[in-house]
Amino acid sequence: MSRFSKSIVAAALLALTASAFAFDTFKLGRQATPAELAAWDIDVRPDFKGLPKGSGNVQQGNDLFEEKCASCHGSFGESNEVFTPLIGGTTHEDIKNGRVGGFVKGDIPQRTTFTKVATISTIFDYIQRAMPWTAPKSLKPDEVYAILAYFLNLAEIVPADFVLSDKNIAEVQKMMPNRNGMTTNHGMWPGAPAARGGIGNGGKPDVKNVACMKDCKKEVRIGSVLPNYARTAHGNLEDQNRSFGPVRGVRTVDGDAAVARAPAQSAELTLANASGCMACHGLSSKIVGPGLNEVQARYKDQADAADRLAAKVKAGGQGAWGSIPMPPNGHVKDEDIKTLVKWILSGAK
Amino acid sequence: MGNPMKIRAAAKDGVTEVKVLISHEMETGQRKDANGAVIPAWFITELVAKHGDKVVLQSEFGTAVSKNPYLAFKFKGGAKGDKVSVSWKDNKGDSRTDEAVVN
Repeated sequence: MSRFSKSIVAAALLALTASAFAFDTFKLGRQATPAELAAWDIDVRPDFKGLPKGSGNVQQGNDLFEEKCASCHGSFGESNEVFTPLIGGTTHEDIKNGRVGGFVKGDIPQRTTFTKVATISTIFDYIQRAMPWTAPKSLKPDEVYAILAYFLNLAEIVPADFVLSDKNIAEVQKMMPNRNGMTTNHGMWPGAPAARGGIGNGGKPDVKNVACMKDCKKEVRIGSVLPNYARTAHGNLEDQNRSFGPVRGVRTVDGDAAVARAPAQSAELTLANASGCMACHGLSSKIVGPGLNEVQARYKDQADAADRLAAKVKAGGQGAWGSIPMPPNGHVKDEDIKTLVKWILSGAK
Repeated sequence: MGNPMKIRAAAKDGVTEVKVLISHEMETGQRKDANGAVIPAWFITELVAKHGDKVVLQSEFGTAVSKNPYLAFKFKGGAKGDKVSVSWKDNKGDSRTDEAVVN
């Protein structure tokens, strides 16, 4: 994005916050419609503000999880292969105390989602907002309730015939294993200190960096740098970040010669981004699935590779590149799959 | 008696895939507690999986297997509604059997 268009976005945002005043003054943008606001305003808060109505039971959640989630998280949410485990590390004692004993004693071997999270609304919000990885926001509220009910059953918080709904989710919150494990005594929490009705500590930072007033060092010297072999250990970090948002990976291959920015991305790469491919495949390195150049290297001498790969992309598959399966991609149009496969086999840039 | 195992079994194209999450300490006998005393070994020694009455998997476990181990395997045959059972015995003489229905 060029500087110029960035400033337009900034102006548009300003216009939104300054509402009527800005419309009159700058004649920019328009009021967001209620439908646009509703699509954007999906957060679920710890007091359950924003929680959609609905319900789901453990069995439905089991079936959904097996279909959409288990390929990365494992059938029991136990897998540590792609992400850290969802379930595990909590005991019946923890459910009673509201604090995970492994943290108190310090003998917890592996943190999992359910050992860490204090509020069930957070898990609801996260599933609804971000999962499944290849098709975020595709789950209906009832499906999120069902999957959450399945988690709660796996974590032995609720029985196997439990139905989770917007009516009883507050009851479940009282059984979360780490519900008392959250502290707001940090400067990042907003508002006044807890003593004066706020939730934070009044903005006092967690660290203290006192300015040096005497006998200070005259110049800053960098004491150590990552050696080259360590810098390149994960391939080129620049290629492994999303193409949007503020975070850019450092270019870690080809040394300093290639510091110049890569040229504008191809139409196919844009399509691959939009279709969700780049969530799991790097251009030149493995992320979850193989790098696209690795795919090209394996299939480049096979005449029928294009058709076979197109079928594989559509139906999903497992085994050719290890045990982590690729989910089916019915949401991508057939001609788009063909374009993408052709692009991959011609070297994917 | 131990804690219950979680078992999922799914039949597809004449092959049944079984996934099991076993709940067991699997203590190796090599670790020491805070006072320096050896924590006695406590692990599963034998695991048998059956499809109905037919044994489809028999294995010997040892201390190299992790705590709360995950086990997945496939066998030929099996149809929706069949029963699959998994049982283990540990070195303290404890044992446990759990059942699941194939779907």
